[in-house]
Amino acid sequence: MLEHLLLQTILIPALCAPAVIILRRAIGKKAAWIARLGLLYSTVLLLMGCLKLAMGGAALTESHAFAGPAITLDLLGDGISLPIALIINFLCLALSIYADHYIDHRIEAIYGEVDERTAINHYTRFYALFLLFPTGFMGVCFASNLIGIYFFLEILPLPLYFIMAMFGYVDRVRVAMICLMWAVFGAGFFLVGSVIVYYTTGSFAVSSIAAMAGTPAARWAIAMFLITIMAKMAVVPFQVWMPWVHAEHPTCIAGLLAVYANVAVYVMLRLLVIPLPGDFQFFATPLMVLALITMVYGALLTLGQTDIKRFAACSTISQLAYSMLGVCSMTQAGIEGGMFFFLGHIMGKTIIFSTAGIIVYTTGIRDMRQLGGLARKMPLTTALWIIGALGLAGFPPMSSFPAEWIMFTGIFKAGLTGSITKLIVAIAGAAAITLSVVYCFRSVKIIFFGPISERLATDNHVKDPPLSMSLPLFGVAAVAIGFGLYPRFILDLFHQVIGGLPF
Amino acid sequence: MLTQYYAWLAILLPLLGVPAIFVGARISGTLRNGAAVAFPIAAAACCLRLAPLLLHPGQLPLESSWVWVTHPFTLEIGILIDPLSLILALVVSVISAIIAVYCLGYMKGDPGITRFLMLVNLFIGSMLLLVLANNLLLLFVGWKLVGLCSYGLIGFYYQDNREYWIGGPEGEAPLTTPSFCGLKALVVTGVGDLIMLGGILILFYYSGTLNLMELYRTAPQWFPQLAANPGMVVLVSFMLLAGPVGKSAQFPLHEWLPEAMAGPGPVSALIHAATMVKSGVYLVARLMPIFYIGRWVIGCENASLFFTITAWIGALTAFIAATQGLVAKELKKILAFSTVSQIGYMWIGLGVAGLTQSNLIAGTGAGIFHLVSHAVFKACLFLCAGSVIHAAHSIYVTDMGGMRKYMPYTFIAMLIAAVCLMGVPPLPGFWSKDAILLANIEAHHIPIFVLAVVTVGLTAFYTTRMVAMVFFGRESEHIAHLHKEGHTPHEASPVMWGACAVLAVMILVLGALGPKFEHLLRHNFTVNLTETLKLPVAHAAEHGFNYHLLVTILSIGGILAGVLPAWFIYGSGKRDVRLTPGSVFSELYNFFWRRWYIDPFYNKVFIDGTLKLADLVAWRLEEGFDTLVHRRLPVLVTEKMPRAFLRLKTESENFLYIGAYLMAIILVTVGFALWH
Repeated sequence: MLEHLLLQTILIPALCAPAVIILRRAIGKKAAWIARLGLLYSTVLLLMGCLKLAMGGAALTESHAFAGPAITLDLLGDGISLPIALIINFLCLALSIYADHYIDHRIEAIYGEVDERTAINHYTRFYALFLLFPTGFMGVCFASNLIGIYFFLEILPLPLYFIMAMFGYVDRVRVAMICLMWAVFGAGFFLVGSVIVYYTTGSFAVSSIAAMAGTPAARWAIAMFLITIMAKMAVVPFQVWMPWVHAEHPTCIAGLLAVYANVAVYVMLRLLVIPLPGDFQFFATPLMVLALITMVYGALLTLGQTDIKRFAACSTISQLAYSMLGVCSMTQAGIEGGMFFFLGHIMGKTIIFSTAGIIVYTTGIRDMRQLGGLARKMPLTTALWIIGALGLAGFPPMSSFPAEWIMFTGIFKAGLTGSITKLIVAIAGAAAITLSVVYCFRSVKIIFFGPISERLATDNHVKDPPLSMSLPLFGVAAVAIGFGLYPRFILDLFHQVIGGLPF
Repeated sequence: MLTQYYAWLAILLPLLGVPAIFVGARISGTLRNGAAVAFPIAAAACCLRLAPLLLHPGQLPLESSWVWVTHPFTLEIGILIDPLSLILALVVSVISAIIAVYCLGYMKGDPGITRFLMLVNLFIGSMLLLVLANNLLLLFVGWKLVGLCSYGLIGFYYQDNREYWIGGPEGEAPLTTPSFCGLKALVVTGVGDLIMLGGILILFYYSGTLNLMELYRTAPQWFPQLAANPGMVVLVSFMLLAGPVGKSAQFPLHEWLPEAMAGPGPVSALIHAATMVKSGVYLVARLMPIFYIGRWVIGCENASLFFTITAWIGALTAFIAATQGLVAKELKKILAFSTVSQIGYMWIGLGVAGLTQSNLIAGTGAGIFHLVSHAVFKACLFLCAGSVIHAAHSIYVTDMGGMRKYMPYTFIAMLIAAVCLMGVPPLPGFWSKDAILLANIEAHHIPIFVLAVVTVGLTAFYTTRMVAMVFFGRESEHIAHLHKEGHTPHEASPVMWGACAVLAVMILVLGALGPKFEHLLRHNFTVNLTETLKLPVAHAAEHGFNYHLLVTILSIGGILAGVLPAWFIYGSGKRDVRLTPGSVFSELYNFFWRRWYIDPFYNKVFIDGTLKLADLVAWRLEEGFDTLVHRRLPVLVTEKMPRAFLRLKTESENFLYIGAYLMAIILVTVGFALWH
């Protein structure tokens, strides 16, 4: 079962996708279970891989012939990539269950009353496209050469584009194109960076990047990759696509959009920080300042939102910058904490986004000013939102609490051993968390507390959603709390890689 | 080792109470109620089991811990039993257990009672975690959880029904909803928490440990490195104090506490007496040895700033809050201002403790003694206030009057607690407040001493005014209206007045044992600070003047100066004074009534300002940026492009993105190739 574990996790969802389409006539909507079972299987595989590593096993490496023996698909499952892949895959699994009712609702909203065959076509088309996400994410996590990473990064915008255009909200076609263009924009610079690496080292292997250390080309390559990464992470001034894309997508994949953006920080770590720590140091302070600006800008942007989906989208801009701040501190604690925060964030954001989806699903309202008082009619949904808010605001027992603590330990260390700018960024960064607390809990007040409008009070549809929507989210919450209480499992795995870095 | 288990149990039991209440509620109300009081009582029993250790402070400290995180650095989870943590744990657990019993009567019939009882248990467990933690990380976990619970409890009536609004009376002052009050508490205390987190992390960087005992033991080694960095000691002092300033509602982060009484009555008692606000005082006391070593062992002058800030914040807050209490009309708000003011006294005690080497034990002992006595009398006052508000169906003292005949037991308990708050001998408030004044004058901090004595008078005034307006004089029109409607005020249920009575008896006992208790505290801190931590202390210089007598005279004089005019004005049954508009008293009244304009200023600057800034970012900056990037830029590029692009424009604007992008890529690649 563990043989070719990494390849299996990439291929299984990719193979399940056509299976969903092919079998839709025979088994109808049950075809979605192919996707879920496939994701369950790969999640179990990844968990076993992590456990193996945690018990002292060596990092997993695989090399598969791709186009003849000269071009291979090289994969690496180490202490960083495996736990990240595990959480991402788990989120895909949870959202594949959550999406069941939601996507029906979207089909009905967009295509109206359609015959069963058409409905099943739409439904299974969604799941087939959905499975390209885990394929892309697993590929990005495990690929150990630049071509592979580029390839999988390029796969990800495809399901985004099609799902947006087919199942998104009002301005979906235009926003789908915006999404695609930004992805292509980023990928282009990635390609240039890869070419520079190849031109300098004669190889596309990630392990060969270190050979560039100290050369002028290294800084050029870093700059090119950074443009891609900042565009993906929506760092100011590249943030402008995020509110549109996140807000107009169907919320059953919005959690994965947070992953899509946040996975760039993993790419930054893998391609830039680990192989080229000395050269990256040149960019560290400006990036920390940029991260702080993005944190504050994103938080203010979030506070100004009235649309519940744009609210969640804008908070992503702010939250992503925390991981970047941690990694750019160039300290072990900063990097490990930053990566752990990444995991905490994607879990919290999946809960928040999906709960926003539940609210839109049940009330049909996106304007937060028209909501209020929902707690009395939707207690479970309220609990979910509050749990998500706790995760984003870094409260115990959520995993983002130890992550934030460890990350800021590293950031302060960088501030105290480096320039005064870094110290100011560290202090301002810690204080800026207050803005997260403000927007998270202000949203609780606006949406769930206070008096309920007569329309919502009398609407029988306004109630907690079916368990198939809320239970997966409670599962995500349980995992986030589990890692909050016992962060050692993930941190020890991270340390296997980060612990060896020269800072 | 067995001893430490009691401390672990004390933390875990209320936390286990949370799921137990949830499950119990699914089975029967009795089981839920049983769980709600059994777990806090069991926690109190565990703490009481540890109490004899205070008689043998030489056996302390005791620690127990296990490793939580090993990478990228080691973090432990553990408990510390030393005199400070043990005293706090006893106060928290015993007072909270009594409040938990009272809750059953107060919340009877409330549809949200299960949620309420769960939050109360979580609150108690979090506070015990905070005070018993052996390291700053775990302490911070408790700290954050306490803040979170207070948010849930203050905003308990989240539906914001009109009957639960506070503020007013309508037309005189703005009204506030419970959900807003909860959010305000969370955010204001959160600001301090996160700045404090920065301070803790700087300490960790220099010391390499978060363990409290290790921090003390190794301070002589790492503090010089901290002090070697210009301004770092000052920065760390400010950052570390920001957390306690927020949690203890001290100036300038004091404005959340008066609104914190939007929650049910027992919540106010928990927050004000037993838990939340005490955490700030506790943390200051916890951090004191570090800065004391910095000042008196290392010789770093800047380290004394920690104590100076503490003492001045305390004095200013005590005075400011007391003036606001003079004119407040909501019963619980008077008590809230009183809490803010009394916490200020504790800060004065702790602040002056580090200003001289001769004052360490006296100042620390006095501050913690006042914490203990305040916990008892303020819990009693709030529980009694809850009963009175229940009976009078109003939150305003102007709507009460003559209540003593309807609520004799509550009246007696509240009177005892109020007299204790004033500092009348021989009640514990007298002993503890006098100890603070004495430590203050012995530190020769005259401006702070003067402020503290003036505040004694103000305290006596607002307390007398409160008691007179609630229990004495003629009944208000509101009470008469209640009679007409058949809602004659009546004594609280036995479980409610019983809890008040227990606290009143505790006040009397603590008063009778006052000097002995003070001696016990001093002995414990002497052993802990000078023998265990080996902090250097000096004996006070001999002087001919009897400071003790002076303090007693000034204190009693201050009380009389407050009680007599207050009784003269309000004892006759006046509902409130009428002042000539434009007179000095009228201006002062308005100034105090508007809370020194601090709250309106904060609302204007921080709430309105932030929201305006957010609107500016969201609706101007971002929208402009979006228009530029997603609409104007393609158009702009189109106009500048060769004619070939025009055809593409007619098909789709989006091709222009690709064109512009490809051009950029080509330029960069060619540039790189040429440069290389």
